[in-house]
Amino acid sequence: MKKKFLALSMATVMCFSLAGCGSSNEKAGGASSSDKASSASSASSSSSSAASTEEEEITCKMLVWSPSEDQSKDYDEWLQTQCEAFNAEHPNWNITFEYGVCAEGDAAKLITQDPDAAADVFMMSNDQLTNLLPINAVARIGGDTEKEVKENNSETMVSSLTVDGALYGIPFTSNTWFMYYDKSVFSEDDIKNLDTMLEKGVVSFPLTNSWYLASFYAGNGCTFFGDGYDASKGIDFSGQKASDVTEYLIDLKDNKNFKIDVDGSGIAGIRDGSIKAMFSGSWDYAEVKKALGDNMGVAQLPKYTLNGEEKQMYSFAGSKAMAVSSKTEYPQVAVALARYLASESAQKSHYDIRNIIPCNTKLLENEVFQSDELVQAQNNTVANTSIIQPFITEMGNYWTPTDNFGKSLRNNEITHDNAADMTEKWNKDMNTSAVN
Amino acid sequence: MNEKKALRSMKRKKFVTNSIVHVLLSILAVIWVFPIFWVVLTSFRAEKGSYVSSFFPKSYTLDNYKSLFTNTSVLNFPKMFTNTLIIAIFSCLISTFFVLSVSYCMSRLRFKMRKKYMNMAMILGLFPSFMSMVAVYYILKSIGLSEGAMIRVALVLVYSGAAGLQFYIAKGFFDTIPKALDEAAYIDGCTKWQVFSKVTIPLSKPIIVYTVLTSFMGPWVDFIFAKVICRANADYYTVAIGLWRMLEREYIDKWYTCFAAGAVCISIPIAILFIFMQRFYTDGLSGAVKG
Repeated sequence: MKKKFLALSMATVMCFSLAGCGSSNEKAGGASSSDKASSASSASSSSSSAASTEEEEITCKMLVWSPSEDQSKDYDEWLQTQCEAFNAEHPNWNITFEYGVCAEGDAAKLITQDPDAAADVFMMSNDQLTNLLPINAVARIGGDTEKEVKENNSETMVSSLTVDGALYGIPFTSNTWFMYYDKSVFSEDDIKNLDTMLEKGVVSFPLTNSWYLASFYAGNGCTFFGDGYDASKGIDFSGQKASDVTEYLIDLKDNKNFKIDVDGSGIAGIRDGSIKAMFSGSWDYAEVKKALGDNMGVAQLPKYTLNGEEKQMYSFAGSKAMAVSSKTEYPQVAVALARYLASESAQKSHYDIRNIIPCNTKLLENEVFQSDELVQAQNNTVANTSIIQPFITEMGNYWTPTDNFGKSLRNNEITHDNAADMTEKWNKDMNTSAVN
Repeated sequence: MNEKKALRSMKRKKFVTNSIVHVLLSILAVIWVFPIFWVVLTSFRAEKGSYVSSFFPKSYTLDNYKSLFTNTSVLNFPKMFTNTLIIAIFSCLISTFFVLSVSYCMSRLRFKMRKKYMNMAMILGLFPSFMSMVAVYYILKSIGLSEGAMIRVALVLVYSGAAGLQFYIAKGFFDTIPKALDEAAYIDGCTKWQVFSKVTIPLSKPIIVYTVLTSFMGPWVDFIFAKVICRANADYYTVAIGLWRMLEREYIDKWYTCFAAGAVCISIPIAILFIFMQRFYTDGLSGAVKG
């Protein structure tokens, strides 16, 4: 008995001590982060305007995070080159650069672990703001820099990084998906409608992936949080407008010329010729080009025919941006560096080296970009057939239920008989927080 | 006549049961070996991409291994491999020594907190180790081990730090070594250290092999701690992080077959160590005490 009691008490003591550790850490981190964040953001807005006139002498270290390609010798060490050029442009600043590897989509994961150890300047995709804003890890961009961003970017790009009127990053590329097709199979007219395409050749679409699945629903009047920012309005996939689309998708899935793209089967099908059109983003460009050669076509999303009416598919569009940590010691340097790394010339060389599609509107007027099919396809998609991917916190509830809905579709669990019920249930799941 | 019949039916019965057992065993063996076989096949596959329509590759190549070790600018596999090897060797040495020493103390020495310590170790061992990862990260950060080359030290500490709690199996083994041997050695004038190093250790080769292998494998298979501690420092990634990154969206199409090659490569150092250590398994206690 005594022994048992001892063991038990030790266990409880240990639990408490561990739990204590966790929460105190969190509290300390949280408090200091918000303090510093506000000071950093105010400093950055005032100092970026000062930077252009007279620079004080600063010797500092800058930690910069980017995907490993940007730092690799295969791609001419784009980041290092740009950073050194930035250093040379500011004679009064003596900056030592350090580099870390963090893909745009991982920024929130790394930073939320330890905001104090975040890079001064990092790259992020705009949906990372969902997790970065609640812990005040990103500095607000203000002053001249904000003005410049608004002048040189499309409305979509700016609003994808704006929350409550505040700008949190400097965009350097857009991020969305569009259509690759085989020109020898589909004509310019065919690609305007998905159903016409299905009559002529095999089309593959990632039906089980929530990033893609919403495109059909968005085309038939289903909305995300009103215009994307109003949490109280929720995700509206209710009633007839959504269940009609579900019915359409059931037929689409059973079409013999339709294949679900899963685990890379789309690109594999393009390679061996069994698939003639697929939906993906710029990251697959090189591989598709290699497989189809001159027959490769890239285009914005097609329409689809729902109960005799043509509906446009809408993809999620986002942006990738240079962001500044709210914990940086030298916000004026960090903001200037972020601005430089997303500048016209940096975007140009990013495109030359890594095929990263620029989003600077002045740069896009350049003939090189006007004649590039990939750039045109992506920018047309962003401009004509996309909605901004919402990044308010509630959007977090969308992904898993939607993945599951896509899988149920694939597994024939959703049929014409229960389509309306299942869609309604899915709509309910998306609007319920999984955590609470 | 009857006897012959009975014999024959017995033979037949035996044949039937044997066949059933063998069929069952071969099915289980196939199920068990299949994934490994598939990884090895994939590592030699010449077609690119992560999706295949056939089980056997259409053509074979060694290029996956070649590019794994030469195409180092984006994902530097040789570097990750060296990192992991260094970490594995050091944490293996440290934790083997720790585990054996602690087990010896628990098995042979009698002191006041012995029972309590063993209970505590048991309870602590019941918790999953990654429960403490955030705390571990902040502790390492506060003593300056979370940046630069010190990350390797931090990982060695993490992998060998819990060794003091993993003594149960080795202690159980030491308990089976007759105390008479120790006493004889004491009478001959041995110190406790000499008994440990000259009598107990040579008699416990199987358990040493086991300890060395498990502690060597730790760093190769651990993902969580490596990820939490390395964060953005790509120079100090271990193979687990590297292999995981090869399967991320932007890399999977190009790196999938290399991933399989990497998985095969990882098994090599562990296999070498095992083959080298294997012969000690048979030794052990044979002929230690007579009568």
